[in-house]
Amino acid sequence: MAPFPTIHISCPCNDSISIAPSKSSASRKAPEHDDPEESDMTFDPGSARSNFSLFPLENLLYCEDCNQIRCPRCVHDEIVCYFCPNCLFEVPSSTVKTEGNRCTRNCFSCPICFASLSVTAADESSTSTSPYILLCPHCFWSSAEIGISFEKPTSITAQLAAKLKLPSLQPSSSSASSFSTPTESYFPASASSTTPTIASVETTLTPEEMYARLKTHYATQRAGSGTDEFGTSPGALSRLMGLYSSTLSGSKRTFGTSLGVGKQTAKQKPDWHEYEHVQPTHDESTLINKMRTVGFTGTTSSQQRIIQPHHPLFTSQLRPLAALLRTKRSKRCRACRHILVKPESKVTTTRFRIKLVAMNYIPALTISLLDPTSVSYHSLTPLNTHQFLLTVTNPLFDPINVTLATPQRTPGRFPTEVTILCPDFEVGANTDVWDEALASAGATSGAPTGVQGSQGKSRRTGKKTGNTGTVWDAGRNWTTVVIEIVPPLIPVEGGDSDAEGEKKITELDRIVQIPVCVRVEYETELEREDSLSALSGREQKEKREHTYWSVLGLGRIGKFGGVKSSEGSDTLGSMDSMPTRPMGRPSSYSVNKPSAGPGLGVDAFGASGMGAAAAVAAAVRGGRKA
Amino acid sequence: MPPKQIKGEYIETDTGNKVSRKSVILGSQNIILGGKTIIQADCTIRGDLRRTVAPGQQSGNVAIAVGRYCFLSRSSVLRPPGKTHRGLYSYYPMKIGDHVFVGEGTVVEAALIGSYVHIGKDCGKFTIIKDCVRIEEGTVIAPNTVIPSFSVVAGRPGVVVDELPETAVEGLELKNIYRTI
Ligand SMILES: [Zn+2]
Ligand SMILES: [Zn+2]
Ligand SMILES: [Zn+2]
Ligand SMILES: [Zn+2]
Repeated sequence: MAPFPTIHISCPCNDSISIAPSKSSASRKAPEHDDPEESDMTFDPGSARSNFSLFPLENLLYCEDCNQIRCPRCVHDEIVCYFCPNCLFEVPSSTVKTEGNRCTRNCFSCPICFASLSVTAADESSTSTSPYILLCPHCFWSSAEIGISFEKPTSITAQLAAKLKLPSLQPSSSSASSFSTPTESYFPASASSTTPTIASVETTLTPEEMYARLKTHYATQRAGSGTDEFGTSPGALSRLMGLYSSTLSGSKRTFGTSLGVGKQTAKQKPDWHEYEHVQPTHDESTLINKMRTVGFTGTTSSQQRIIQPHHPLFTSQLRPLAALLRTKRSKRCRACRHILVKPESKVTTTRFRIKLVAMNYIPALTISLLDPTSVSYHSLTPLNTHQFLLTVTNPLFDPINVTLATPQRTPGRFPTEVTILCPDFEVGANTDVWDEALASAGATSGAPTGVQGSQGKSRRTGKKTGNTGTVWDAGRNWTTVVIEIVPPLIPVEGGDSDAEGEKKITELDRIVQIPVCVRVEYETELEREDSLSALSGREQKEKREHTYWSVLGLGRIGKFGGVKSSEGSDTLGSMDSMPTRPMGRPSSYSVNKPSAGPGLGVDAFGASGMGAAAAVAAAVRGGRKA
Repeated sequence: MPPKQIKGEYIETDTGNKVSRKSVILGSQNIILGGKTIIQADCTIRGDLRRTVAPGQQSGNVAIAVGRYCFLSRSSVLRPPGKTHRGLYSYYPMKIGDHVFVGEGTVVEAALIGSYVHIGKDCGKFTIIKDCVRIEEGTVIAPNTVIPSFSVVAGRPGVVVDELPETAVEGLELKNIYRTI
């Protein structure tokens, strides 16, 4: 079960991938007009596109040049280095090109349970002469089960290749040499009509043999020959030149047949055809018989089968899996190509040369139930008012003005009513001094500890109130406000309300997800050292703003009043006849219900009938006036 | 978030370690705590399981070395890993970095744990866990496994299932949790 509450931030690249880099400092300033009016629509967390744009704050980067958050979808990854996750050796990219993206040392994982295998002496009691095996320390599978043991405990990859007779790693083997001789019967001219022969040959080849053949073909092509008419040029270039010269001069030579080498390699390369993962067998009775003898435990699970390149049906055909390499990657902004993340290239270090992460630029949100004992996140009571504490923490070294906007009713089939009691407030500046952080202990970052944690430490000495227009609590660089929600009553499936043709109620309908538009405004000192500002002598301040949508997953809607699901339809019926809606548990705090006074204070959402977009704009405008 | 403890539940050392009176610490002369580390009630630290050496031979005295800002939750166990080498069963020292969170009831028998590591539960023998790793609850890591940095590990046996973002250090640091105790 997913833990609640969750907080995700929407990356705007969802709307347009090609976000043009903003025109440097000019657009960094807060625009004069309220552009949210025309551009911002309520973000719908339930829409299909949202799946691709919502990320936790930790996963977001920030481009200083674009003044925009960047998610994994709108950055470019560039590989800094390859390394084996098991032996932690760096693998040069040239080796990756020739040997593939797996470790070529002694790193293998278990084909049964995928734990990493260790090289052990087959018989621990005996001394050095005993053979070595790959043993799984978790499920005790060993390479002895497929009849493979090793003479020495090093270079297992080469030994394994020899044991499995993988021709790809034995270039001098018979399979490779057979290609160098003209084998017209196997590979007739491409135009010939003896295709059945090719097919029959190719099906008898194992994937490894097929791969080896292709590899030899390309290797020969790449190596080329220095004996062609273009003399000393590398193989690739000469091939290209040969192509041009043959087509341009209109000579009889065609590509691939112009050179002796080309002729051979063209024949080595088999016709392109898709590999069948399911190997056709004409006689299934042998398979069935084998299944009967080995039993269920002798067959592979789909996970075990799919991870192996040859998709074995039986555990006896499994092979140890060479460890897949991992990478360290740097990341670039897709729009302006500036580098956002650059790790140090040493494999074992976790340091970064460049690390522009969003959590250093945009305020972090945290949310928790005001009274955690009242209700569980997993069963919010329908039609009851629930109060949550939303804390905004400022990572910037300038105080920020935050405006929160949310639709009065969340988008979706079963809208939740939402009220932010204080949508416009200030958050203090962050400081570097940890001592100060210690002074305001308990609630510095990401951990608003609610009622107990914040006593005596808040900036505001007054008592906490749930009144509209006032913040609940505030500290050095954080401010907490109260957010109220009224979850809807979701009809029980199969009841009268679930009319025909209507969509079924999904689990998603039961999750309370609240889109909140966070607008941050602050003034900061100009970074550029202009001669103008230096002359004027006074501090040049620049107004900046940043707006983003975030989605708060507050919990799952439970059953109404503990009514059993079978009685759901009755409950609904009785609901209609109820004179008043249940007002929830008696709150110990004096809270103005939204219904009590629309338009009270700065509660921009009290007025009903206001469109969501208009409500957002109104809130933002109201915030600016305040 | 652990609840606030009653005063006197913890013994605070000079370097700011807070050790629960209800924890079991054996062979404390072989244990090094880096400072600001919290050891909760019912934890067991087996400093007595020291490397066995031939008589006359000098050996390092440290069985378990723990860094700064570590958090050992209730009922967790730190136990140096042991194995038979040339017919002799011996324990090997365990080293734990800074900002390492050990979940409730977890038994740690790793050889090396880096810094900024979150362990939900159960860590196998001689495991090497590098910096910035998150091990999900209920994971059993097979012996001798190496977990590289920025990994999320889950399952039985534990395999790398995800990559941690660049912010892993910020997400895994435990300074705030120390202040709450
Ligand atoms: Zn994006
Ligand atoms: Zn390796
Ligand atoms: Zn296994
Ligand atoms: Zn950019």
